[in-house]
Amino acid sequence: MATLILDNGAGTAKVGFSTDSEPKIIPNCVTKAKNVRTRIFIGDQIEECKDLSSLYYLLPFQKGFLVNWEIEKQVWDHMFSKDVCQVDFNETALLVTEPFFNFPSIGESINEVIFEEYQFQALHRTQAPTLSCYKHQTDKVTSGSLFGTLVVDSGYSFSHIVPFYKNKPLKEAIIRVNVGGKVLTNHLKEVISYRQLMVMDETYVINQMKEDVCYVSTQFKKDISIARLKYPENTISRDYILPDYTHIKRGYVRAPEDSGKAKGDEQMIRMNNERFAIPELLFYPSDVGIQEMGLSESIMHCMTLVDKELVPHLLNNIVLTGGNALLPGFQDRVFQDVRSMASDDYDVGISTPSNPLTYAWQSGCDLALDPIFPSMCVSRHDYEEHGHVACINKFNVS
Amino acid sequence: MADKRESVRIKDGQQLRVLDEAARRRRQRKALEALEEDNFSEDPHADLKMSKKAPKFDEGIDSSGPGPKKKRKSRGDFKLRYRKTFSALLEEEHMLNKDGPTYFTACAPPSTLPERHFCAVCGFPSNYTCVQCGARYCCIKCLGTHQDTRCLKYTA
Repeated sequence: MATLILDNGAGTAKVGFSTDSEPKIIPNCVTKAKNVRTRIFIGDQIEECKDLSSLYYLLPFQKGFLVNWEIEKQVWDHMFSKDVCQVDFNETALLVTEPFFNFPSIGESINEVIFEEYQFQALHRTQAPTLSCYKHQTDKVTSGSLFGTLVVDSGYSFSHIVPFYKNKPLKEAIIRVNVGGKVLTNHLKEVISYRQLMVMDETYVINQMKEDVCYVSTQFKKDISIARLKYPENTISRDYILPDYTHIKRGYVRAPEDSGKAKGDEQMIRMNNERFAIPELLFYPSDVGIQEMGLSESIMHCMTLVDKELVPHLLNNIVLTGGNALLPGFQDRVFQDVRSMASDDYDVGISTPSNPLTYAWQSGCDLALDPIFPSMCVSRHDYEEHGHVACINKFNVS
Repeated sequence: MADKRESVRIKDGQQLRVLDEAARRRRQRKALEALEEDNFSEDPHADLKMSKKAPKFDEGIDSSGPGPKKKRKSRGDFKLRYRKTFSALLEEEHMLNKDGPTYFTACAPPSTLPERHFCAVCGFPSNYTCVQCGARYCCIKCLGTHQDTRCLKYTA
């Protein structure tokens, strides 16, 4: 029987069979383009769209939880169809991820859709950090000291700090920071729209710009003073040329030596302190008035909630995953902060997988090959016999 | 003569409308809600009928409802059963799960570090607060921009 791995993120879903080497990354949404009025774009169909300005998004997730099934069904239908994965439901088991503390009624609806609508043969539900921990354990097996792993998963809707004892998440010490890629993009949109150019409708373009030019500062005060300077001394400022989707198909950074006024018809945004002040929200949510600890502070707070004996293991095995881990400087910043806050007696070890976006999915592939995997699944027969109870007993969720 | 002279600053000061604490909090909450928005504008296709689903000429008035045809019967029931908003889910969780770690307990607590302040106009560190609305600014120039654009312009 084949196993399909679906890391169902609120921003992008990572999907593929356990035998594939890479997952397909599918935007988990339905998109409408302002200038294409004849159709809608489901998931990765958006790649067929030539004009990506003023996209309208329909998202199945709200604050990281699956609430809109009408949209999710469309995306899943597309993912399981021959266009993407060509799933033979009668011959396939599914491994699907959900957030920590997923609400029971959402869990039930997932069971129901998987078994009754799609008729998969077996199901395993888990969380992306749990998978990441599993892979980190096997990847680092030589070092030996793997009592504890701390997974920091910073995604689209929020960031989770999850301590593990061996492979078991310590639920009472999980911390959620309600800042993710979506908040960063929305804040960048707001800031640019006020300071330079109205871009409130250009979520796609601005998100791309964020990915192209934003970085996490490791010397915030110094970067601020550099950003105050004028061109040759100011090494931070970048001119970003926006796409117009006729001549310029994608936004790009202009080389610093060519910076200056926009040429011809092109539209330009100058990214100066915005380059590092936006990702700062991950570390200081209070900068925009979200009264929560940032990532580094939350990691240290998490250490106060777990057994004292576990702390050195956790601090030495921090894994950074999720899309925000792709921001340049992210790991350096977490290391710098944690090192400065943690006791000198502890070693701090942080790693970022080569692809933090697909790490949980890759791990799902490994897990699917594990001989214990079949015993972690609920089969359709079990579900039909015992209903949701079978799933509640089997899955380590909520 | 002397009684006619008056301080401009005192006069202006009396006219100043200052937002109270509640109004400032309301503004702040709106700003935070905006950070969670999926879209800024309304659905651009809202006025559009998909050509296949557009009403046919031979259809009666009673069938003018634009409801999409159900492909499978179960899907229709299903939609009804799981149509729960996020706030309804939160409430349900609050009622059902009183002890043990939950969505609520997992939320990061307020930071113990002092808050940092940035100019609402230019984004650089700010030392001053707008007397009227409480926004931060860093220099006279930014204050001018702020007063011309945002300050009390759209009051919540």
